[in-house]
Amino acid sequence: MIRLVKVTKKFPPQTIALKDVSLHIEPGEFVSIVGQSGSGKTTIVRLLIAEIRPDAGKIIIGGWDITDIKNRQIPALRRQIGVVFQDFKLLPKKTVFENVAFALQVSGNTKSRIHKIVPQVLKIVGLEDKTDRYPNQLSGGEKQRVSIARALIHRPKVLLADEPTGNLDALTSKDIINLLLKINDFGTTVVLVTHDKEIVNSLKKRVITLDDGRVSQDQKVGKYVI
Amino acid sequence: MFLAAIHRSIIFALQSFWRNIWLSLATIFIIALAFLSINFLVALNAISDSAIAAVKDKIDVSVYFKRDVKESKIAEIKSHLETLSQAKSVAYFSPDDNLAQFKARHQSDQIIQETLTELAGNPLGATLVIKAKELADYPEILKAIDNPAYTELIENKSYDDHQLVISRINSITDNIRKGGLIISLIFVVIAVLIVFNTVRIAIFTHQNEIGIMKLVGANNWFIRAPFILENVISGLVACVVATIVIYGILSFLQPHLTAFFGFDFNISKYFNDNFIKIFASELIGITVLNVISSSLALTKYLKV
Repeated sequence: MIRLVKVTKKFPPQTIALKDVSLHIEPGEFVSIVGQSGSGKTTIVRLLIAEIRPDAGKIIIGGWDITDIKNRQIPALRRQIGVVFQDFKLLPKKTVFENVAFALQVSGNTKSRIHKIVPQVLKIVGLEDKTDRYPNQLSGGEKQRVSIARALIHRPKVLLADEPTGNLDALTSKDIINLLLKINDFGTTVVLVTHDKEIVNSLKKRVITLDDGRVSQDQKVGKYVI
Repeated sequence: MFLAAIHRSIIFALQSFWRNIWLSLATIFIIALAFLSINFLVALNAISDSAIAAVKDKIDVSVYFKRDVKESKIAEIKSHLETLSQAKSVAYFSPDDNLAQFKARHQSDQIIQETLTELAGNPLGATLVIKAKELADYPEILKAIDNPAYTELIENKSYDDHQLVISRINSITDNIRKGGLIISLIFVVIAVLIVFNTVRIAIFTHQNEIGIMKLVGANNWFIRAPFILENVISGLVACVVATIVIYGILSFLQPHLTAFFGFDFNISKYFNDNFIKIFASELIGITVLNVISSSLALTKYLKV
């Protein structure tokens, strides 16, 4: 599903965020990418959504080589990958419904289809009774659920979650992780980028550990060992 | 699909306009101020043009004929002067007309009235009053009057007294026009800069949203269109607001203007007569400016 082949990414003036990173994530896997701050975790997410381009190596998602993806192809790529961010990245002046619907509107879905799908997805994340609220009227956990609903709306094959529990308390974090597991059970590949030791250890799933821009460990049923 | 996209852009633009109402009002306020300053200048130009025209209208050349010149001869000269392309009008005043006017003008002057009674007949000859189309045309008209064939017939010409005044008015009006043009250009540049930066600031406040839209897969036009439309709406509303305010100010100023300048000039009528020309051009200008400034400002934040 996701393949990185000897990927290197440098940032000026002299920071090397990733050095010859190679990894392969199978369809339907739940993978945690862990590491300390500055180890290159978020750089991988940014590369996968084509926010930045690699300086060397190859990136393939679902058979699509996005290494040298053209700017006009980026919207299509992002509609195929669900992304959940630590800071939720919700549109502040849109309601819960509109935030989720927006992801469908950008790909030209009809109003009737939007009104059919959005409530279904909001039900999955447990926000069916908060559709008219604005982000500032939601708790952190609820905001993250909206973010997940929006990421799921295109039924993506891959869901990237970049520190999704970074701004949440322990209990809410557990809820969010359970939601991600549920999504994974439906067959969606989930890539969880985190430095939350407790969560990673409780998952008992594959763990890729990054250290100073390199893959230091890749365990099938891993633990947070830094 | 295309129509649906346009419909969606309009809805998004209206939503954003309403949900960011304070930002929208601030934008409208500043654009309306720019409009007002431009229209203030338009009004000023109209008033100065009208004042210049009123002064120019008062200028003419009077040719005073000797008493013994026959009316038929003067009619011949009048016909000749009327054929000149520079002449706007040539009016004939008979000796009797002139005497009546003279008496009326000096009716309170007892000495003049008595002197006229003592004189046996009418001491005044006929007069031709010539108005030129432009101030610059008077020399040509004078050249025609200075014809040697007429020299013996003419007692006096008023133009000799006016010549200095006319050349001064010519130079002043030229300077006013040039000054007006320069001030107009400065005002336009300032207004353009103000609107341009207001739109840029409005877009800047949306930069996070633009980034989020990009991250969820919106293409550039899907993001651009509502923001551009929103700013165009702000421009339209500002234009309407400014128009209402301008008419309010004009109707308040009108009586004072007439009293101040001493000639009848209806500034509201001027704006009514030129409504389409003034406001349509301003509306087109602000729309084009909004589209350009929004597009340029957005480009910066679309690189996500």
